[in-house]
Amino acid sequence: MHDFDMYFKAFNETVYMTLISTIITFVFGLVLGVLLYVTSAKGLKPNKQVYAFLSAITSIGRSIPFLILIVLLLPFTRFIIGTILGPSAALPALIIGAIPFYARLVELALLEKGKTLSETGVSFGATNTTIITRIMIPESKASLIRGITVTSIAIVGYTSIAGAIGAGGLGNLAYLYGYARNRQDVTIIATLLIIALILLIQLIGDLIVKRFTPN
Amino acid sequence: MITLKHVYKQFDISKKRHIKALNDVSLTIQDNTIHGIIGLSGAGKSTLIRTLNQLETHDEGEISVFGYQDIKRLNKESTRMLRRRMGMIFQSFNLLESKTVLNNILFPIRVQRKLHQADYQKAYDIINDVGLKGYASSYPHQLSGGQKQRVGIARALINDPEILLCDEPTSALDPLTTKQILALIKRLKHKHHLTVVLVTHDMHVIKAVCDEVTVMHEGMPVESGTIDNILFNPTHPITKELVQLIGFNMHDVAKKINKPGLVMSLKFPKHLTGESLISTCINKLDVEINILFANVTPNTEGIMLINVNGSEQNQVKPYLEKQGVVIKDA
Ligand SMILES: Nc1ncnc2c1ncn2[C@@H]1O[C@H](COP(=O)(O)OP(=O)(O)OP(=O)(O)O)[C@@H](O)[C@H]1O
Ligand SMILES: [Mg+2]
Repeated sequence: MHDFDMYFKAFNETVYMTLISTIITFVFGLVLGVLLYVTSAKGLKPNKQVYAFLSAITSIGRSIPFLILIVLLLPFTRFIIGTILGPSAALPALIIGAIPFYARLVELALLEKGKTLSETGVSFGATNTTIITRIMIPESKASLIRGITVTSIAIVGYTSIAGAIGAGGLGNLAYLYGYARNRQDVTIIATLLIIALILLIQLIGDLIVKRFTPN
Repeated sequence: MITLKHVYKQFDISKKRHIKALNDVSLTIQDNTIHGIIGLSGAGKSTLIRTLNQLETHDEGEISVFGYQDIKRLNKESTRMLRRRMGMIFQSFNLLESKTVLNNILFPIRVQRKLHQADYQKAYDIINDVGLKGYASSYPHQLSGGQKQRVGIARALINDPEILLCDEPTSALDPLTTKQILALIKRLKHKHHLTVVLVTHDMHVIKAVCDEVTVMHEGMPVESGTIDNILFNPTHPITKELVQLIGFNMHDVAKKINKPGLVMSLKFPKHLTGESLISTCINKLDVEINILFANVTPNTEGIMLINVNGSEQNQVKPYLEKQGVVIKDA
């Protein structure tokens, strides 16, 4: 295999893992984050029990080291993906690792302007659903997008860990050649590609923020 | 008319610490008036105004508005309907930063139903009315504080409310802009026959626009009345201090004066403002009157503090009272 093809394939695998995980994390992290905000003490409908429960799951999810999470999820992964090798097999761990991370960022973003914005909505006679979907989320767009950008970059980092144990991608390449076969040049190029990908994600994130906020 | 009867509201800070934000509040706010609520920080003013649209639910007592006996007992849907009949403006304006001026103003309609062509027309009319012509497609961050509050006012009026609630609407603005915003509120009140409830800690604001005033202190209304009566006859120490701040310091003057004789406060009803009652009195009765203080209320009633000779007060008092002057001992 030519070097170029090798890098190309690995790059694609990393992009694939990152993209799919980011999209799914965005949806579920947003939902979990909104629920955290709504039930928190300063939220729209404070509920101590529900918040404590959601918050505990989120904190536990965030505190499990990623490598251990992958191992813990092996049976689950085998069950829904059918294999524990390859980029798709990395998805469950990537997503489950990233959701709590993003959910916290969503909660913080919503809390930031929470009280004033929600009260403004209440004073118009808006329902709670309307307040969330038409006021809180649109007004927090910039923070929510910045949050998913940060999350996506963290996911790139996770993919390299996943790569080391068989998920493929640039992490796999760096590990396989650089560490196992002593090819420093491959490791360096793989690292440069990871950095380029991260910069690209940051750039896209910034562009979307710019596009969606008045300035 | 808004009526509060024995309203209580307590905040539980911890198991042991409770704050009585509203402590037996009974109050009537007449239709078509601008009713000011003033008091020191922490007096419970914000809590009071927020119970009126149930942003805060009261623990005890009754608040009746629009003929409902107690708005706390309305169901969710009726509470929303109630809120749509009241506009609210805020100290920090609370505009939606991601929306244009036009969309901010239309937003209260948008949360209820699809917009019609007529809604846009109405929004543009209000935009012109509050002095924001040409700013419909601007974003809030492009506006000055005064302009932002104009958007807030326009947004509060889009649903044709009968009541406008204002919590410190000018506290983030400079004195001149404050004056303009207050003038706007006053004009819109006349135009739309609004009942305005206005919370402030600034007595100048009260003097500039309010017909009626309630002074709050430690969760209780300690004094209520027309602005002129409050200025002429403040009874609570807090009220006395507040009226001094806007140049009605006759209580201070009365206390400091140690001339022999009697010190009296006079109030000249509007129709007497043009008359030279005091000089006529001096000439006719051949007495001496020493004027210690004089000022004019927002409704152009004259308030005066005079000092008369002890033996002459029996002449002066009946004479002035006969002319329609209100007199009290200072
Ligand atoms: N949500 C809350 N939780 C706990 N305490 C509160 C809450 N809201 C108000 N308080 C307390 O209730 C009291 C009255 O507060 P309120 O905001 O009504 O005062 P205010 O007269 O509006 O004061 P300011 O002029 O500072 O705005 C204060 O002691 C305040 O700390
Ligand atoms: Mg306040």
